[in-house]
Amino acid sequence: MFLKIKTTLIAATLILPAIAGSAIAGTKIGVLVPDSGPAGLFGPSTRNSATLAAEQINAAGGINGEVIELVFADVGVPPAEAAQAALKLWKGEGVKAFVGMHDSAVREALTGLFQGQVPYVYTPVYEGNACSIGLYVTGETPSQQLAQAIPFLMERETVKSWYLIGHDYNWPRDTNALAKQYIADAGGKIVGEEYLPFTVADFDSSLQKIKESGAEGVLITLVGGGSVGFNVAFAGFGLDKQAIRLGTLIEENTLAGIGADNANRLYSSAGYFSSIESDAAKAFAASYEEKFGTDAPALNTLGESAYDGVTLLAALANKAGSFDVSTIEGIAEGTSFQSPRGTSTLKGRHVNQSIYVAEGTGGTFKVVKTFDNVPSSESCSK
Amino acid sequence: MSSILLLNILWQVSILAMVTIGLGIVFGQLKIMNMAHGELVMIGAYAPVITSHLGLSGYLQLPICVATVGLTALIMERTVIRHFYGRPFDSLLATWGLSILMREIVEMIFGREYQSVSSPLPGTMSLLGTDYPIYRVVVILGVAVFFFTLLLWYRRSKVGTEIKAMVENPALAQAVGINTSRLSSVCFVFGAVSAGIAGMVLAPTTRVEPMMGLDYLIRSFFSLVVGGLGSLEGLFIGVGLIGGIQSTIGAFFNQTYGYLFVLTLSILFLWLKPNGLYRSN
Repeated sequence: MFLKIKTTLIAATLILPAIAGSAIAGTKIGVLVPDSGPAGLFGPSTRNSATLAAEQINAAGGINGEVIELVFADVGVPPAEAAQAALKLWKGEGVKAFVGMHDSAVREALTGLFQGQVPYVYTPVYEGNACSIGLYVTGETPSQQLAQAIPFLMERETVKSWYLIGHDYNWPRDTNALAKQYIADAGGKIVGEEYLPFTVADFDSSLQKIKESGAEGVLITLVGGGSVGFNVAFAGFGLDKQAIRLGTLIEENTLAGIGADNANRLYSSAGYFSSIESDAAKAFAASYEEKFGTDAPALNTLGESAYDGVTLLAALANKAGSFDVSTIEGIAEGTSFQSPRGTSTLKGRHVNQSIYVAEGTGGTFKVVKTFDNVPSSESCSK
Repeated sequence: MSSILLLNILWQVSILAMVTIGLGIVFGQLKIMNMAHGELVMIGAYAPVITSHLGLSGYLQLPICVATVGLTALIMERTVIRHFYGRPFDSLLATWGLSILMREIVEMIFGREYQSVSSPLPGTMSLLGTDYPIYRVVVILGVAVFFFTLLLWYRRSKVGTEIKAMVENPALAQAVGINTSRLSSVCFVFGAVSAGIAGMVLAPTTRVEPMMGLDYLIRSFFSLVVGGLGSLEGLFIGVGLIGGIQSTIGAFFNQTYGYLFVLTLSILFLWLKPNGLYRSN
């Protein structure tokens, strides 16, 4: 008797979740976010933004008539482990498509794993030129962030000479290769270029060189804590009077760490800021605050990019009528979607999108210029 | 040598000395390799964050820093550290574990985000023909006064003599009535609090977040390796070499070479001269 009850209970515990699962779950979408590691700071805002996108998609009827359910995995780990986590979602949980906000090393591991068999939208700011079957990119590439922003700022702040400083890896180097061309085209010159190891925590010698170079503009491709430390010391030395700063990954958290005192004449160029004045961006910020509270992790271009990723995926799958990669490949080019960033259109696996130049003086970003429908020169020719 | 480089070297050496003194005391006197030393710096750096969050006066930063870091150190010493006195390798593992725990606790309270700390003395001043941040100049002078006082006190006070006795021969020190257990606690807490104060002083000049401590641990460890353990003289030699060389090479070549040189130097010292340049006895 006792044994029988026990067996029933075990059976029930095994079956119930399965029934419950199939009752709610329609189509599962894998969302790959950095919960741990150096980008861990962006995990919560990424999850939240993806969740909001999924809610709005479901409210509008889901994808191809089915509700979607997001399944998250932590990819703030080495590429091989990230691939394992994605494989578990794909083969274990039956995920139909992926949206990823992570570094390029993880992306390379994932495109190797997926082999074009599952649609995959990659969302963060990155160096460009990732071209694989089934891969679609919503993030800003260097040409989008700089081709128009550099001449605009050179005129606005009468900047003639630039110093380029970044961490020592491919994103800063690729960004600066393009920046040099834009600066030369606008009649400016480069007075210094420097790449720092990630381990550097004091920037005195770089600041000394910037001071001696007489640069009027500094293009910053340092990331995360390095960017915070550099900018704090930069203003400490009073260099904000000598030069403007332009960053292509200075988002709201970085600015908060730099602090209002140290943000004088600091500019950032990106596809999203929480202070964009458009109706779509305001509505997004309002529903974010309503759902996750006023203490929710700050909105920023990396976190918000997951909203764009999930939205593009829905647009593609709805247009194709399925998640089949070969069908999506046929209809992808020219697909448009709306997001807090504005209207974006898929061209060569990347998106033409709005780019905002914001000034951080005073400790919060104010958008000073918007460029619409900006193409990427690092997209795929097909 | 340009005057700005000279000032930069002075600044680097001052803050590195301030961070390293605690690590040096704890290793030299207690034979504890404290891998959580950077986290004590980090907790100290959160003192100004606490006062600004709670809307308290800036003058309370120092008492709050001493209280939070001192209490943390006392708990560490009573629960874990005391069982590892004289066992450097075991203590390395134990304190590494503690460092992870401390980072997680701070992250739980303040979150992972970067905190910004306003400088109490913003602006620059003209010095040796260059503009230099006023705050840094004041800190350099403050650190010089601190070390001078510490040196005098250690040479002349009774506690200084007791510490020397305890290090030379713990059993005999106990036999003549020195409470070595309490003295060890005091040593550990003192070393920790000095690290915390270093963190508080550094906070307006750098990034403040739970992972920041690692940067400071590594360089102060290298300074001890080069300078030799167990004396203030050795500490200054190590700090001067590591801080000075990295700044100089960074200024004339680039930071990658500066860092490469520091790593190479540390490896050579560990290999060929494991006692460092200056050995007290």
